[in-house]
Amino acid sequence: MLRLAYLAVATVACLGMSGAHAQRSSAPDNAEVYIVWPQNGTVISGGKFWLRMGLRNMGVAPKGVERQNTGHHHVLIDTDLPPMDKEIPSDRNHLHFGAGETEARIELPPGKHTLQLLLGDHNHVPHDPPVMSKKITITVK
Amino acid sequence: MLVGMKTDSGVRIMARTCAAAAFFLLSWTAAFAGETPAAPHAYLYIGWPNNGEVVAAGKPFRVWFGLRDMGVAPKDVKLPNTGHHHLLIDTPIPPADKEIPSDRNHLHFGAGETETMIELPPGKHTLQLLMGDDKHIPHNPPIFSKKITITVK
Repeated sequence: MLRLAYLAVATVACLGMSGAHAQRSSAPDNAEVYIVWPQNGTVISGGKFWLRMGLRNMGVAPKGVERQNTGHHHVLIDTDLPPMDKEIPSDRNHLHFGAGETEARIELPPGKHTLQLLLGDHNHVPHDPPVMSKKITITVK
Repeated sequence: MLVGMKTDSGVRIMARTCAAAAFFLLSWTAAFAGETPAAPHAYLYIGWPNNGEVVAAGKPFRVWFGLRDMGVAPKDVKLPNTGHHHLLIDTPIPPADKEIPSDRNHLHFGAGETETMIELPPGKHTLQLLMGDDKHIPHNPPIFSKKITITVK
């Protein structure tokens, strides 16, 4: 019961806030972003690698470029998806590729890491529906 | 003595002629290239298929565009170190100072696409990528991939 009340409050809070949220760009239903390389389970020695970003049924455009059915890549490292109605954070767990890059040289410390791609629009806000890849796990040793 | 001098000045003239020729060649190249400077370390390649790949006839296959140290931007977007992909099929590189033709041998990806599906008739075919600027003109120097040969059968 308490949990339900909490949920209700949270929902109302979210609804109330939604007016202040960034407007989202639409994405085609068949748009698909995926990690070409590395594959899930890849073991990387040394920790430096090229991450190749794949995108289907949509195009890449640098940040600030407002064009239908385009966006730019963001790589989420060791983190869950951020809120879908806000600008994707920019920090060491959320790398932005606002220059239209489709590959990135990445270096990670030894251990297990998760990687996930999330497309952002000209304002770095995820599309509606959001275009994201599967989250993969790699090991650096 | 006279012979020696002759040889010496001959060498000098030769060197000067070579330098002049090299300069001429360089300026000639510059005159026949696009105006958009290329990203200094840009590297363009076909991620798939591989050179020598055999693909099945009668169904489309995916071509994956690889680009490093440069970004993709749709046509008409003028931003430094960006361009959009063009796929050359069974054709040599077109003139570097003109708009890349748009036909079945020169596919444009002006919406910022980074891969495509194509279907080719049975036989040997060449594939090569060439970047174009906001106006579909190759960069200076032009950024192109290795030309690969695949077989459709």
